Amino acid sequence: MSKSFDVELINVQKKFGTNVVVDDFNLQIEQGECVSFLGPSGCGKTTTLNMIAGFLEPDRGDLLIKGKRMNGTPSNKRDLGMVFQTYSLFPHMTIFENVAYGLKLRKVSKAETKRRVDKVLDLVKLPHVAERYPKQLSGGQRQRIAIARALVTEPTLLLLDEPLSNLDAKLREELREEIKRLQRDIGVTTIFVTHDQEEALYMSNRIVVLDHGKVEQIGTPWDNNRPASEFVHTFIGKSNRLTGVVERVLDHTLELKTDTGISLRAVRRNDCFAAGDKVSIYMRPESIALHVEQRHSAATNVAKGTVKLTSFLGAYSECEIDIGQTVLTVRLQSVEQDGWLSPGMHVYTEWKPEDVFVFARKENGR
Amino acid sequence: MSESRRRKMRTAVLLLAPAVAVLLGVFVLPMLYILLMSFQNKQEHISLVNYATLVQDPYYLQVLWRTIKLSLLTVLACLVFGYPVAMYMAQASSKMRGIVTFLIIAPHLVSVVIRNFGWVILLGEKGLINNVLMQAGLIDKPLRLMYNELGVVIGLTDSFMVYMVLAIATSMYQIDVSLYKAAGILGAGKLRTFLNVVVPMTLPGMLAGSTLVFSLSMSSFVTLALMGGTSVKVLPVIAYEKIMTELNWQLGASISFLLLFSTVALVTLFTRLVETKRYKEVFSS
Repeated sequence: MSKSFDVELINVQKKFGTNVVVDDFNLQIEQGECVSFLGPSGCGKTTTLNMIAGFLEPDRGDLLIKGKRMNGTPSNKRDLGMVFQTYSLFPHMTIFENVAYGLKLRKVSKAETKRRVDKVLDLVKLPHVAERYPKQLSGGQRQRIAIARALVTEPTLLLLDEPLSNLDAKLREELREEIKRLQRDIGVTTIFVTHDQEEALYMSNRIVVLDHGKVEQIGTPWDNNRPASEFVHTFIGKSNRLTGVVERVLDHTLELKTDTGISLRAVRRNDCFAAGDKVSIYMRPESIALHVEQRHSAATNVAKGTVKLTSFLGAYSECEIDIGQTVLTVRLQSVEQDGWLSPGMHVYTEWKPEDVFVFARKENGR
Repeated sequence: MSESRRRKMRTAVLLLAPAVAVLLGVFVLPMLYILLMSFQNKQEHISLVNYATLVQDPYYLQVLWRTIKLSLLTVLACLVFGYPVAMYMAQASSKMRGIVTFLIIAPHLVSVVIRNFGWVILLGEKGLINNVLMQAGLIDKPLRLMYNELGVVIGLTDSFMVYMVLAIATSMYQIDVSLYKAAGILGAGKLRTFLNVVVPMTLPGMLAGSTLVFSLSMSSFVTLALMGGTSVKVLPVIAYEKIMTELNWQLGASISFLLLFSTVALVTLFTRLVETKRYKEVFSS
């Protein structure tokens, strides 16, 4: 027998009418892993989660949890824990009763229930709210209770459906830290659905990037430096896009020319370009450097431009540089002093070949 | 009092004045007059004779008990038959929800008299149901489906179920569907989810619906007269008889007040029982 996984999805497909929302989804999740489903709304991430939870049935393919085929098994027989975007605590039950509900259904004794609920409330740092009702708690507190409720039954699998989306920015960071700590401490296998790439990068061992029901890439957070597709590259983080053509294909580099006449070199990554191919060229704002004077005589990977707009954003500054028909966003880690860059100034933008990402341009004008 | 508050008061008084005037003239004053009348004997002297009759003659207490019993049975029937309809409406598409709402309201566009005659066609001795059962050989003499308490409960349920359905549906619309998912994931099957989540969350709707149906049933007259015939006597019917046939206005007035008092007392008691400390914690805003 092959290696056993906590969760396996094999060629899973789901249609709503004639609309294929999840297509040919294959994934294996190991014990203790935290895997994120990342993608824009409508990409199929929630539908997939709903199939794993048992709220929806796949039209095709198999779903295995702990090696057992789960197709057709109702949610209540799957032994899962789940946290919802809207908290979904039972308003008519106290916090204690909410957390204890799963144990009550499993006919756990009163003393044992009390012990486990107290323990899990300690774990989420809310031991003092047991007798209150959900509406007496703040959003962040409610979500912690929801996490406690999901964990108390010690489920095989923890499903988190955009658990942070209803919280404000500061609370979101606090809680994601806490969820990560809990997840790693307890070692519960976890699926985390989000549209926020930073959350996905922060939380997970692996990220599944989805678009239009198709898996675009499955990889570790580090793999984002090797994006499998234009979608993955642009969805995760900001990027500057230029259009151009391939001039020459060398062993390790591509020589490119943008439509505006700038020459570039890019490191090759499993591509199969030929000279003359139309391509999209991407560079991340943080990988572009700015200089007041031209440093090298080389005319590649350098473009002359004019500063249009600068914005100070705390840890870094962003400025927009007009390089002729294209505006590049450049992120500077530190600006020595205020006013170092001012609109109208002439600067040179420069980047390294390994920071240039090239994708084939589709013929439909993109 | 500040100028703006005074102005607000004046607006309120002006807006409410016509309705208050009408209510005072045609409702409050006559009620007070009837109350006074109930404490008079036939010679129009102040007396407790009417209330003494009501308490001493077991006939009136029997009628009171029957009125309460039939109203409670109607509430129960409305809950049993109305709850599934409300559940259907809560999960239906907005189009189907509109159609069902129309279907349960539409019969009430027809006069209650006509509707009750409809029931005669169905339930009467030579009605459709008896006819079919006789033809099929399942029974050899007609079943008594109306002119008794069963007929009354059928008629009242038909009249008032709409209030129950709409009240329950309203509280059911407010349940976040992810609560059902949450219960399922925690291990609750459909029945458990229904008992532990749906029922407690719709208590306010059931309470509102029951209060309405109960009060309406207690004071119902037309359905009682048509579906109960002469054998099923309830308080509104005997109050009518005392006044219209025996011309005993004083006794009729006291029966009316017995009805009013028992309805208010029972509704208050019932509400107190349902609105526990928890209920108030959860459902008060």
